Amino acid sequence: MSVIELQDVSKLYGFGDAANVALDEVSLSIEQGEFVAVMGPSGSGKSTLMNIIGLLDRPSHGSYNLNGRKVARLRPNQAAKYRRDTIGFIFQSFNLLPRLMALENVALPLAYKGVGLTRRTRLASDMLARVGLQHREYYYPWQLSGGQRQCVAIARALVNDPALIIADEPTGNLDSAGSRLVMELLSELHKSGHTILFVTHNPELTRYASRVVYMHDGTIIHDEKTKIGEVAQAVRRAMYNVSRTTVEDDLAGVSALMNAVPSHDNASTALASKPRKKTSKRRGKK
Amino acid sequence: MRSLTRGNVKTAIASVRSAKWRSLLTMMGIIIGIVSVVTVVSIGEGVKRQVVSQMNHLGKDLITVRPGQLVNRDEKGTITGVNLFSGYTTTGALSDKDVSSIQKTKGVKLAVPLSIVTGGIDVDGKTYNNASIIGTTPQLPEALKQKIAYGDFFNDSDENQNGAIIGKSVATGIFDDDIPLGRSFEFHGEEFIVRGVFEPFKNATLSLDTDFNNAIFIPYPVAQELTENKAAIYEVLAQPNDPDQANTVAAAIKDNVKSNHGNQEDFTVLKQGESLSVTSNILNLLTRLIGGIAAISLLVGGIGIMNVMLVSVTERMHEIGIRKAIGATSRQIRNQFLIEATVLSVAGGVIGVIISLVINVMLRIFTDIEPVISWQVVALAAGVSLVVGIIFGTAPALKAARKDPIEALRHE
Ligand SMILES: Nc1ncnc2c1ncn2[C@@H]1O[C@H](COP(=O)(O)OP(=O)(O)O)[C@@H](O)[C@H]1O
Ligand SMILES: [Mg+2]
Repeated sequence: MSVIELQDVSKLYGFGDAANVALDEVSLSIEQGEFVAVMGPSGSGKSTLMNIIGLLDRPSHGSYNLNGRKVARLRPNQAAKYRRDTIGFIFQSFNLLPRLMALENVALPLAYKGVGLTRRTRLASDMLARVGLQHREYYYPWQLSGGQRQCVAIARALVNDPALIIADEPTGNLDSAGSRLVMELLSELHKSGHTILFVTHNPELTRYASRVVYMHDGTIIHDEKTKIGEVAQAVRRAMYNVSRTTVEDDLAGVSALMNAVPSHDNASTALASKPRKKTSKRRGKK
Repeated sequence: MRSLTRGNVKTAIASVRSAKWRSLLTMMGIIIGIVSVVTVVSIGEGVKRQVVSQMNHLGKDLITVRPGQLVNRDEKGTITGVNLFSGYTTTGALSDKDVSSIQKTKGVKLAVPLSIVTGGIDVDGKTYNNASIIGTTPQLPEALKQKIAYGDFFNDSDENQNGAIIGKSVATGIFDDDIPLGRSFEFHGEEFIVRGVFEPFKNATLSLDTDFNNAIFIPYPVAQELTENKAAIYEVLAQPNDPDQANTVAAAIKDNVKSNHGNQEDFTVLKQGESLSVTSNILNLLTRLIGGIAAISLLVGGIGIMNVMLVSVTERMHEIGIRKAIGATSRQIRNQFLIEATVLSVAGGVIGVIISLVINVMLRIFTDIEPVISWQVVALAAGVSLVVGIIFGTAPALKAARKDPIEALRHE
């Protein structure tokens, strides 16, 4: 059974002619234990998709089953509890609370769950040890490096033992050392059985993933299972178009994809596994 | 859940402290409101206690007759109101004839007139205008149940001599001497000898009585002579033979004096017990006045808190987004901001109570007022500030709670 089952999910912003289609009838199913990298140019709807999967946002149309439960129409409070108990969110800008120490930041989801102070301090402390920050419990976020901050954020996402971890550009604000630290952590979580979705602009990081999904203009244009440790086929093809020395550079990855995806549409067998739909069709239906 | 509340309180205190000045200015309205409520109520309480203790000292049976209609009564004779201003402006006056009528009233043991003689006194060539000179009769100490500390009071035989008995403040203030017996002063061109000093009077502040500690008592006939019978009687004290008959005697006195005044009731007969009710009438008026000011101040304070909380919610939109993203429910966010507003206003209440305590001590040191801060008034202050915080914190807290998590996260 799939953990995540999206059926024709759309997200529209605005009304009428000014409507902006952020997601256009996306269907996607993700199995237990998959490690999915989501790629695509800026504005292609990656974050929108992550937010909907992570129950932070609701789709305008379509159905969403999470662990077999229909969650597309959950009310805000139900969504909050479901999110708290089953989903760990990791953000590009870490989103730690600046006035709380690392330990308190990690313990916060437990507090919202109603766990007592002693128990949640112990759990948070364990979790910080697990991400290698046992000596930074009483540091404030501004006293930590970017990579360490993201590790605290990961510990916070993990503390409720969520089945699903969603990371929207977790390495976007990190240098290569920080990126490696974070990706190794996610990789370990994957090995211990968590289902993980992460957004990245860096083709190199698809090495960690077991599956790569490409988005463009609010649709999934390519979906590929990869061997862990190898860069995805489509990305590798795209990478030949750019200088090899800038593989760590996010922007290079984006422009490489921009070049690779539409122009190789007919030539590549790996790409364009799914024909693009006309967005005007949806708009006509309202 | 309790541990979350504790966390919220901690966060709230941290956020109040991180913006000390803003928080303090926000609390100003609450502080002023609480200070005025607590101070007024405690002054009222203190004055009431003083009046009660004075009354217990004088005895409930002492009857006071004053010119002017000071109070309004219903048919049963219960005081319904106090004429704060007209009491002093109505032109009724008490005469010697009234004094003897009161004296002759059935059941009256003694009647003591008190007349005010205007003018300053000269002591060793210096003039003093601050003491009241009161003409009275030898029974005054008995009527007031007041002892003479040094010397003696004049009696029926030396009633026409220029002797004076002074209050404690006059002794220390004018004669600069605790026991100025035998010292002399000049008044209306005549020389008077100090022959006695009263023990300190327990005066009730805000009561209608003159401060006897700051008074010089001279014989009534002498006072009349000095002023060619123009010294106005401002009070006649009467004591009934039987304390239980005070009501009937008071009614009889009223009838007698009324017939002297051509059936006009341009005077007031008060029993000692009623002076408490006069005082509390005045106090209630004052309390209502300041209570209104305090209510407005608390309202303004509440609006200030609401304003600052709304700003705070906007400023911390990103934080709200983070909290929601990691699983906070709307209710938990609402409680967080509600607690913060409440911490603000309760802190204002606490500061207000502390300032009131300081004012209280100041009043005790620098004035005769002895305000009493009871636990009830402190509880009232705490309750009021709690309620203000909850009422005016609700709108901002709901604004925070209802925010969509994605929108909140987009705020920077
Ligand atoms: N709140 C919003 N209002 C209007 N348009 C939005 C909003 N959020 C996202 N969009 C639009 O949806 C599209 C997809 O955005 P997003 O999912 O953030 O892209 P990505 O994460 O892939 O860069 C973009 O065109 C963006 O402008
Ligand atoms: Mg994005």
